[in-house]
Amino acid sequence: MEINEFVKNFANQFDETDASEFTPATDFRQLDEWSSLIALSVIAMIDEEYDVVIKGDDVKSSKTIQDLFEIVKSRKKS
Amino acid sequence: MHSPFKLINKNILVTGASSGIGRQCAIDFSFNGANVFLLGRNVEELKRTKELCAQDVTIKYFSIDFSDLGLLSNEIASICDEIGPVHGFLHAAGIEKSLPYQHLKIDDYQCLYDVNFVSAMEIIKTISNKQYRGDKAKYVLVSSIASVIGRLSLTAYAASKGAMASAVKSLSLELAKKGICINCISPGTILTPMMIKMMDALTEEQRTARKESFPLGFGEPSDISYAAIFLLSDAARWITGQNIIIDGGYTAQ
Ligand SMILES: NC(=O)c1ccc[n+]([C@@H]2O[C@H](COP(=O)([O-])OP(=O)(O)OC[C@H]3O[C@@H](n4cnc5c(N)ncnc54)[C@H](O)[C@@H]3O)[C@@H](O)[C@H]2O)c1
Repeated sequence: MEINEFVKNFANQFDETDASEFTPATDFRQLDEWSSLIALSVIAMIDEEYDVVIKGDDVKSSKTIQDLFEIVKSRKKS
Repeated sequence: MHSPFKLINKNILVTGASSGIGRQCAIDFSFNGANVFLLGRNVEELKRTKELCAQDVTIKYFSIDFSDLGLLSNEIASICDEIGPVHGFLHAAGIEKSLPYQHLKIDDYQCLYDVNFVSAMEIIKTISNKQYRGDKAKYVLVSSIASVIGRLSLTAYAASKGAMASAVKSLSLELAKKGICINCISPGTILTPMMIKMMDALTEEQRTARKESFPLGFGEPSDISYAAIFLLSDAARWITGQNIIIDGGYTAQ
């Protein structure tokens, strides 16, 4: 798993926010476009691309994209 | 004395009887006098349902999977050969999918449509045959309030549930000629294994908000089974083609 690719996949779930706004350190819940629907899209993307099922509370407990990446990465190993 | 609200001596088929709403319906039908025939995939869970049912009526279970619909009407015919006339059918087998539309694949639509809706139509084709149908037969399909309201990320599921609610209207006209009534029940949120899994994708706050959106709080499987008993009983002889909404007041708002 590679963080840059994860950031790109993450960014793809947004329609209006410019791709340049997304870095591993992005505090994604502060983005104007962030919504519960995008959260569901992110969960679906992680399931499709990484074959990892995460919960709503996992998204909630992550501040940055990097945080979420770490959760997915740790689940993928096990 | 004749008790029109009971199900005494009626043979009732229940799909999805291994879990949740279907299991509760099977149990409550049996305690209201019905012989209940449990259909589902998980034999261990079907056995468990059988144990929970009344012991003074006939309870049998049959393992059946709706992923191969081509086989279904023959399988149902051989079950009917064994159990005799079918007076009631409760369709609670179903699958749920919460996915934003951009993530939905053709297979997702197809699978939801087949398991939730087409399976019921194939079963009805067989059990409504002269050969198998019981006197004053009644059928109930468990749809969902997603058949009448919108909710984020439920497009494919809602389409399959809406199909049930609208098919029942046309089908009721054909079945009326045979003296059969058919209706949908559309529940709001009930904490069954299916819903608990779906709610995992929500945050704690969203779960609380969901609960608060129901004026009477979340429902219980028996809120559905009690209405199903009524719709399958002789008392409901003049009700057909309807979509009965049971949602703790959600759609009243
Ligand atoms: N729980 C709710 O909040 C709610 C709300 C509205 C509608 N519903 C509907 O009620 C019905 C029952 O749901 P539940 O909440 O009891 O869920 P559940 O997951 O507890 O039970 C679903 C049942 O369907 C069966 N099933 C699934 N796929 C099948 C297949 N391919 N072949 C054969 N059987 C299959 C399962 O074995 C199980 O017995 C479903 O149609 C659901 O859509 C539930």
